[in-house]
Amino acid sequence: MKIKAFWRENNTLLSVALILLALSIFGLFSMGLEPFVRTTLSGFTLSALYFMVAAGLTLVFGLMDVLNFSQGSMLMIGAYAGWQFYTNPTFLFGLAPLVFALMAGLTMMAVLHPLVSKWRIPEQWQSRLRALLLVLAVVIGVLAVAGVDFRGLASTAMVATMVAGNPLAEATLQEPLASFWIRPLLLFLSGALIALAQARPGDSTVVVYKDQSRRSGMIVAGLLALVIVATLVRESGPLAVLTTNGNLRFVLALIVGTLVGAGLGAVIETTLISPLYVRPLYQVIITMGLAFVISELIQLLWDPLPYAMSRPPAFSQPGKAENIWAFFQGGNTTVDILGVTFPSYRLFIIALGVLMFVGLTLVLKYTRLGMIIRAGVQDREMVEALGINVKRVFTLVFALGTGLAALGGIGAAPFVPVEPVMGDRYLMQGFITVVIGGMGSTTGAAVGALLLGLARAFGDYLALKFSLSPAISEASTVIIMAIVLLARPAGLLGRRE
Amino acid sequence: MVEQDFILEVDAIHTFIGQFHILEGVTVQVRCNSITVLLGRNGAGKTTTLKSILGLTPPRIGRVLFDGRELQGKRAYDIAAMGIGFVPEHRAIFRNLSVAENLRIAERKKGDLERKAEFIFGLFPDLKRLYKLPGNHLSGGQQQMLAVARALVADNKLLLIDEPSEGLAPILIEQMMEAIRELSATTTVLLVEQNFLMASRLAQYYYIIDDGKSVHQGEMADLIHDEALVHQYLGASVRVEVGASSGRGGGK
Ligand SMILES: Nc1ncnc2c1ncn2[C@@H]1O[C@H](COP(=O)(O)OP(=O)(O)OP(=O)(O)O)[C@@H](O)[C@H]1O
Ligand SMILES: [Mg+2]
Repeated sequence: MKIKAFWRENNTLLSVALILLALSIFGLFSMGLEPFVRTTLSGFTLSALYFMVAAGLTLVFGLMDVLNFSQGSMLMIGAYAGWQFYTNPTFLFGLAPLVFALMAGLTMMAVLHPLVSKWRIPEQWQSRLRALLLVLAVVIGVLAVAGVDFRGLASTAMVATMVAGNPLAEATLQEPLASFWIRPLLLFLSGALIALAQARPGDSTVVVYKDQSRRSGMIVAGLLALVIVATLVRESGPLAVLTTNGNLRFVLALIVGTLVGAGLGAVIETTLISPLYVRPLYQVIITMGLAFVISELIQLLWDPLPYAMSRPPAFSQPGKAENIWAFFQGGNTTVDILGVTFPSYRLFIIALGVLMFVGLTLVLKYTRLGMIIRAGVQDREMVEALGINVKRVFTLVFALGTGLAALGGIGAAPFVPVEPVMGDRYLMQGFITVVIGGMGSTTGAAVGALLLGLARAFGDYLALKFSLSPAISEASTVIIMAIVLLARPAGLLGRRE
Repeated sequence: MVEQDFILEVDAIHTFIGQFHILEGVTVQVRCNSITVLLGRNGAGKTTTLKSILGLTPPRIGRVLFDGRELQGKRAYDIAAMGIGFVPEHRAIFRNLSVAENLRIAERKKGDLERKAEFIFGLFPDLKRLYKLPGNHLSGGQQQMLAVARALVADNKLLLIDEPSEGLAPILIEQMMEAIRELSATTTVLLVEQNFLMASRLAQYYYIIDDGKSVHQGEMADLIHDEALVHQYLGASVRVEVGASSGRGGGK
């Protein structure tokens, strides 16, 4: 009886496992051990990457029905941010005060709200005033960044990869504080003007949330403090980072990349997504547009070239480790697994993907946030009726999703080319993963990623062996999707409704 | 100092859903430590009234005072956190959460559940046995009990309970009534109930809503004898049940 019930509960997972097992036995005997293990490991590497994009997609869709088309761009931003931090921190350090200042300005919205809603402005002047404020904000914003050598700040890394021995030699200098200080100030002003326009001066029909303004006030204060700190460490910071131990720097890069992704996610959710929950189609279009803008901006800063980020020292000592334990001591580039020479960094990616899945599953299952997310997936209104601020949970989950993708991006950077098309590539795979696994299910995303990664790897192997077009492996993912959707229209573990 | 009579005062609220004008002037006053019932036909706007109080569908005109405080401009989660528990219609528990989690999620302070466990399991002993089960394994009656229990976890001064007897077997209705009567000893209850027998035995005060407007109010004891009024607003079907209810068992 127990077995029967277990089968009923988990039949999808078990069937997939059985099919995979059968396929691998078949593969093992027809391919031979070495190619089989190598291909499987390559597949796992891809699976890990797909999962990192898909996890955020599926979480965000499950909880708030938002299809985030900029999720791939978040992976790309993570990759660029981490790569820049690792090889050329001048860029991030130079940008930080400006970004924080603008964010502080934009956050003024809820602070200004109660003040300006009571202003006496004739109706026909209200919209003109808003337009005027926005134009003014743009002008000031442009003035604020006029003359900043963004490309100069960004480009050091290109040079740095060439003079690999001493990236410091070519570091672009930061603008001196004496002329720089006005920029964050102006950007804060520009952001505050936009916030003022958004606060709709004179429009008394807008509901004012008092405690919201208090909270925003505190956030503004915090951001302003960050602006000051960032301005002060702007010049000395990059040197300090570059002289730290390479492994530590890589860990820091992972953290910075994740934070950039999560921070950007939070900003996107609060400014672009949250006003549009009543118009889901617009949300889709806005995230698509965002993906486009991000890829253009990146091309502007770093040219449409692919860059290779060097691996941290823990994965770049010459020679092959005899086994995993030897690798932990030696930090070799490759490691011997069941007789297969495999790049050690790829094992790190697999481990990162597995860690992410396990961590996410534990968070969803055992924390209060996870409980709220699972409940919110089913019934947001009721969660709110329990006294829980669902909007804040949305922002948090969106940021979590983009942060995970960004972490995947910086994790991937040392072994895939860092280039402006990586966003679209991983977005596509991420979506297929989520559709296969079932929208809203984290375990589904993991299973989907596993299937896709293996299909890609074995597809490539077959294409190479029988000299077929490599398009066959790309097509295989879509074929899998079609088969799964025929059998299970909601995806493997999707909600059946 | 005037003794505060009403914990909740809903004053001529108008609520819109999209462009639909759903509530066109609903007034309800709920006395402290009483059970007040909202009556009305299907689609009259009872559920919408509860949701308007909670801010899930905020009223555009009119005002709501809870515990002496204006609720206008507050969001649903703030209103709930002021001490209002909500038991939605159709047994809306979280089906993919376990019974334990369904209760745990309603905590507003750490340890709420531990503090209230004895009280809750006293009212609904079944839940203790089902504690670890996922919500979707529960029967309809058990789900309804869980929905009520969930509203009891935090310290709520007011409970909004929407059709607790919906689809329950008679014996379970009896049990549910007993539970509501018992919990009303410590909190105030605003009840929506189609089962007139149950409503009449539980509540001390009633408000009738018809077509989005408050049309009648008074003490339950008077309504029971006013067959014409009951017939006019609640339909013929309940008349039989009124006849069956031979006196008021509610009140405290
Ligand atoms: N989301 C919505 N969009 C449009 N109309 C709605 C919506 N929700 C409710 N209504 C309408 O508002 C009216 C009142 O609904 P409400 O659910 O408050 O009624 P009710 O008195 O609780 O009815 P019941 O006894 O059937 O639960 C109904 O006519 C209903 O059709
Ligand atoms: Mg209803």
